[in-house]
Amino acid sequence: MNEVIVSMKDICKSFPGVKALDHVNFELRSGEVMALLGENGAGKSTLMKVLSGVYTRDSGTMEIFGKEYGDLTPKQAQEAGVAIIHQELNMCRHLSVTENMFLGREVSGRLALDNARMEEEAGAILQDLRIDIDPRQTVGDLPVSKQQMVEIAKALSINARILIMDEPTSALTSKEIDDLFRIIHKLKAEGRGIVYISHRLEELQHIVDRVTIMRDGQYITDMHFKDATMDQIIAHMVGREIKEKFPRVTCEKGKKIFEVRNLNAGKLVRDINFSVYAGEIVGFAGLMGAGRTETTRAIFGVDARESGEIFVDGKEVNINNPMDAIRNGVVLAPEDRKKDGLCTKLSIRHNLALPNLDLICNKLGVVNSQKEQDLCDKAVQDLRIKTPDVEVDSGNLSGGNQQKVVVGKWLARDSRVVIFDEPTRGIDVGAKVEIYHLMNELKKQGIAVMFVSSEMPEVMGIADRIIVMCDGRITGEVMAEDTTQNEILTLATSFENKNIGSN
Amino acid sequence: MNSKKQSPLKRLLGIRGMGAALTAFVGLIIIYAAFGLINSAVFSGQNISNLLRSMSKYLLIGIAQSYVLITGNIDLSIGSMVGMSAMIAATLMTRGVSPVIAIVVALASCIVVGVINGYLVGKFKLPPFIATLGTMFVTRGIAYMVNSNRNTDAIATGIGKEAGDSFQNFFYYGTTLGIYNTFWIAMIMFVIFFFLLSKTRTGRHIYAIGSNIDAAKLSGVNVVATTTKAYLVSAVCSCMVGLILCAQASMGNMEAGNMYEMYGVAAGVIGGVSPLGGTGILLGTLAGAAVWQTLENGLNMIGAQVGIQRVVIGIIVVAAVLLDVVIRNGEFGKKKAK
Repeated sequence: MNEVIVSMKDICKSFPGVKALDHVNFELRSGEVMALLGENGAGKSTLMKVLSGVYTRDSGTMEIFGKEYGDLTPKQAQEAGVAIIHQELNMCRHLSVTENMFLGREVSGRLALDNARMEEEAGAILQDLRIDIDPRQTVGDLPVSKQQMVEIAKALSINARILIMDEPTSALTSKEIDDLFRIIHKLKAEGRGIVYISHRLEELQHIVDRVTIMRDGQYITDMHFKDATMDQIIAHMVGREIKEKFPRVTCEKGKKIFEVRNLNAGKLVRDINFSVYAGEIVGFAGLMGAGRTETTRAIFGVDARESGEIFVDGKEVNINNPMDAIRNGVVLAPEDRKKDGLCTKLSIRHNLALPNLDLICNKLGVVNSQKEQDLCDKAVQDLRIKTPDVEVDSGNLSGGNQQKVVVGKWLARDSRVVIFDEPTRGIDVGAKVEIYHLMNELKKQGIAVMFVSSEMPEVMGIADRIIVMCDGRITGEVMAEDTTQNEILTLATSFENKNIGSN
Repeated sequence: MNSKKQSPLKRLLGIRGMGAALTAFVGLIIIYAAFGLINSAVFSGQNISNLLRSMSKYLLIGIAQSYVLITGNIDLSIGSMVGMSAMIAATLMTRGVSPVIAIVVALASCIVVGVINGYLVGKFKLPPFIATLGTMFVTRGIAYMVNSNRNTDAIATGIGKEAGDSFQNFFYYGTTLGIYNTFWIAMIMFVIFFFLLSKTRTGRHIYAIGSNIDAAKLSGVNVVATTTKAYLVSAVCSCMVGLILCAQASMGNMEAGNMYEMYGVAAGVIGGVSPLGGTGILLGTLAGAAVWQTLENGLNMIGAQVGIQRVVIGIIVVAAVLLDVVIRNGEFGKKKAK
């Protein structure tokens, strides 16, 4: 096609304990839309952060418009014409469109800022993009789609030649996606290079020229989009050998323990129906933002429900807040341990005891320190939490041990349903296996286990039955034994027809 | 894992927040000894008695504010509750109402403010600074309105000299076992609230919501109830200080307790209670209140002016926190997150 404007060769980047990028190659030409594809954690975002100067590469060479950059800084990247449109929009919500577009490079008049001129320039760029936004409007008042347009306009106002869009359509309606695609086509026609990161494979056909596929921090291949089939692309994305061990135990499937009927809660929890039986682990697969975490939160009573019934052991239970859930034997080990799981300033002992105080306190609410000690000792032993002492701040533990504390909080109770939301995210292989053993142990005890995970091999290796979600709905249910990663990924990307026909 | 084998001293030091509290105690001893060397009257029995009595007010205020600070909030209405409690009790007594009923009414009024604070912050999620700023003004306004914008007459004019004396003796002038009753009252409340915070479910919940409110909620903690309990403790302690001030002056002063909420923050912070929530123990608050009062007392005894007293106290508050930051991070800003 046209000339190469970005060329990255043999890029490596390590974080403590993880090799995020392993000799990755990447090339972008002017006037093309390049899709960067891969599973969660494949290294797409890391690569783009290297390109935009947020991270410094460990080794490898990088050329932008033929000029070689060593340790690229964000400012250099910006001057070279690289701009990222982030997944979470980076706007000052209380400032106007113009103020956001000119943030950090405001135009001054003789005494004060020259607002008239800035507004005029902002208006011209918006008009050129055929976006109907008043430059004086406060950004926070705009819908997300418009905010995104403002980000694009901002990128163009600093004359960005290379635009990186990270999941730009995840929050848009189909009409808005059409608008976005129209703008992308226009930018392409002007000779700009666009890197497009998306999990929605269907929408690629409307805009993408080439694809680069990554997996486990490695460059796999790049190809012209029209030469590739969707199956080929998916196979390249997921085709890893399973390195981790997944201990599986088989149990007799018992009676129904847990049932959710017609659960609705917001945009990402629509008409959820499922059951969990004794002696099985039910996996929840799907892409980020598919609504799995939201479903667990709605079940646990954290977020308000619009409708839906929940049954434990055949009896309907009324759950309006986490207290109700716990009382009815439903517990949740949440996804984000730093935000939702742990009181990091408190000791391991305080954290382990927190949800179990009803069990270890007397009638007056005084903590029985012997019972508490026993509870802590048991949790430390069962989960092999590596710590010299339970008085240590839980915030000082490694990720894996923190996760064990989060899980350990819930094991002292006679729960009927245990929900694990991404229990192995960001922890090492050894700790992962211990968490799997623990889930298996619960399964053997006849406790219903719900297991949300974005790691496909893990869901397939541990869960007995897999429910796949996409866009807030259950799009399929498969048995782990006779399914394939491709089948799950297909279910996980079966969006409702949101994005038909843009050109 | 082998915590049972540790020596008692090591166990004591292992208690969370004990480090900061002990540092404050060491500071207290140094400050006290230093003033004593300048003026030996500081060591006299009478001065020690006075010191313990005046410290008691700051201790109660410190407990009030520490409870709220540990939940990660702040209570700006403490000083106003002190004033309102003093005015309500004094006004009722000048009208001949018995001291017991006066105390009950003052306590009930403060409890209402505490519940309102707890609901505004816990239930309606108002920023605590704003919510209690509002109740601070309203409560102070009520303190003014109680006796039609005037300080009260002497309480003995209503309930008689005998009852007036016994009220004043109970809260301020009387002694038990040679020590002022004020100190005993503060100590009893200290022990109760120390126990509540360190040994009970409510205490654990208070630390939990101060450390991570989302995690606490997901662990089944009732955030509204817990926040309200913390503000209630604050209200009860504030009421007690109001009664003490009323007894001391033998009348109600509309400006009683002005700025006390900030004295409470100072006592807590010197003793290692973090305004960010989740950390600190009441033993630290005790040390903080003692440091504060020893400074004020010592500076008085060596003839320092009020101005210099304020300057010194201000410096001590900042220095205490700075010391804590330095201890925790090794050196100034050396610790870079990696």
